[in-house]
Amino acid sequence: MRKRISLFNSYVFIFPSLFLTLALGIYPIVWALRYMFYEYPGYGQEKFVGLANFSRLLRDTEFWHSVANTFVYAAGKIIIVLPISLLLAVILNRGLRGKGLLRAVYFMPTIISTSVMSIVFFTIFNSYNGLLNQFLLKYGLTSKAIDWLGPDYAMLTVIITAVWGAIGNYMLLFIAGLQGIPEDVYESASIDGANAVQKFWHITIPMLGPVLQMIVMLAIITALKGYESIMVMTEGGPVGKTTVMYLYVYKLFFPVSVTSSTVQEIGYGSAVGFVTALIVGVITIFYFYMSRRLNQD
Amino acid sequence: MNVHSKSGTFQGGYVAGQLVKWIFLLATALVTLFPIVMAILGSFKTNAELTAGATILPSVWQFSNYVTAWKQANFARFTWNSLFVSVAVTVGTLLVASMAAYAMDRTRFPGKKLYAALQAGTMFISIGAVVLRPQFDLMVKLGLNKSLWGVIIILISAHATTYFMLIGFFKAIPRDLDEAAYIDGCNFYTVYWRIVLPLLRPALGVTALFTFRGAWNEYILPLVFTMTNPKLQTLTVGLANLRYGVGAAAETQLMMAGACLSFLPILVVYIVANKSFMQVTAGAVKG
Repeated sequence: MRKRISLFNSYVFIFPSLFLTLALGIYPIVWALRYMFYEYPGYGQEKFVGLANFSRLLRDTEFWHSVANTFVYAAGKIIIVLPISLLLAVILNRGLRGKGLLRAVYFMPTIISTSVMSIVFFTIFNSYNGLLNQFLLKYGLTSKAIDWLGPDYAMLTVIITAVWGAIGNYMLLFIAGLQGIPEDVYESASIDGANAVQKFWHITIPMLGPVLQMIVMLAIITALKGYESIMVMTEGGPVGKTTVMYLYVYKLFFPVSVTSSTVQEIGYGSAVGFVTALIVGVITIFYFYMSRRLNQD
Repeated sequence: MNVHSKSGTFQGGYVAGQLVKWIFLLATALVTLFPIVMAILGSFKTNAELTAGATILPSVWQFSNYVTAWKQANFARFTWNSLFVSVAVTVGTLLVASMAAYAMDRTRFPGKKLYAALQAGTMFISIGAVVLRPQFDLMVKLGLNKSLWGVIIILISAHATTYFMLIGFFKAIPRDLDEAAYIDGCNFYTVYWRIVLPLLRPALGVTALFTFRGAWNEYILPLVFTMTNPKLQTLTVGLANLRYGVGAAAETQLMMAGACLSFLPILVVYIVANKSFMQVTAGAVKG
């Protein structure tokens, strides 16, 4: 009897979590898997079209541009973020005056909403009355306003914004990893006459190995997925120059802003979303196996 | 510190190294703080001064920007909406996740492994914006799209991270306490409510901070739900929409005041509790 009651109790306590996860986590995925094969503008009758959405996707240059943009964005972000945050972590992991305060400062951006900071960056980089341009013009650093959100620089601008928001978080992850390296390894290296740079290359990097791989993987996944900041700053423009994969998916489901109106394409959007998730998944798995093989060599 | 060296050139190298290090540290700190400081100072400037640019401090401090933002640009309502969503999501998430963690840690039942796999799975599968649509449709069917409850429930459903953090903390609560409580006449529910939750308080505090911040900063979900209902907009959404409002493209000072209204409270909490923030975020969500 007692056992039956406790079994019932277990289910009572698991139920809210399980129910919410199934209804709002799993069901939407199943929903998308079904709609990939339909044509459906969001109202009226849906129509089964088989693999038509996928053949359309293969010919959809806008999508493939967004894939290319995502790679540029992710690569740019990762290449800047990781070295800076690793360097900060290495410096701040040792005894250093004011390290607590500095950590708090570097970490500050991760506290603030991505969308809100993107608005602030939007006003800073704004082409004609942006703070940065006004500053550059006033001190004669440029003779005419730079179009930071225009076709040439928009990608750079969104990457800078992303880097700003991410450094603190990766610094913290690196510090956590560095704390796993025993101090006496450094001490014996010091006795052998190793300098800071040698210690970094011959001790820190190799001993950080597995943690470093995990952090790089996390960096790749988050960079491939991020679109909120871009949505606020450029809405994917100008002329699609900063449209990343997930933003493109979003655009097929919802209008991007109150000023623009787009045609909803639920079925096609589901197909694009599926392929996008597949691309991210394949890259992750590929990276995972490559880094494992490098380890074994 | 390797100051063992006696040679003068090495000392010189050491000083140069220190100098480079500190320039790097301070330059990064400056770049990090720049936009935040710009937003705060900008929120006190007139629009003309802001768009003319290149002053650091406001020539006359315009505290009225905040009054205007609060009243005319509706930030009072946005703040209330944000607060409502964040508190409800925090309470709901902690409740749902702690209940699940309690059952998972203390009992055995058929399907336990399946549940564990499901929770782990939800952390890895993501098809991004696609899921928003079925989630939205579900809420419309339930009539929950007319209030912020739809947003709240969806945010609570994403409680896997909190669940995993709490499971970790459960290991620290000895089962002997449960046994003793059962002997004293407690049952499954009262042990949860009177023994486990109070002992879990530090962990709950930290995860609450984390969940609250996430809900407060959420943008896309409230955006989708309030497209046809501006009254329900949260701070993040209302602020972003200021870019398109009537003549608002020119009202940068209001955008800055609004940005400060949205991040200053959470920044103050961060400064007070920055250790907890860092602990929780290590290994978590944002990149």
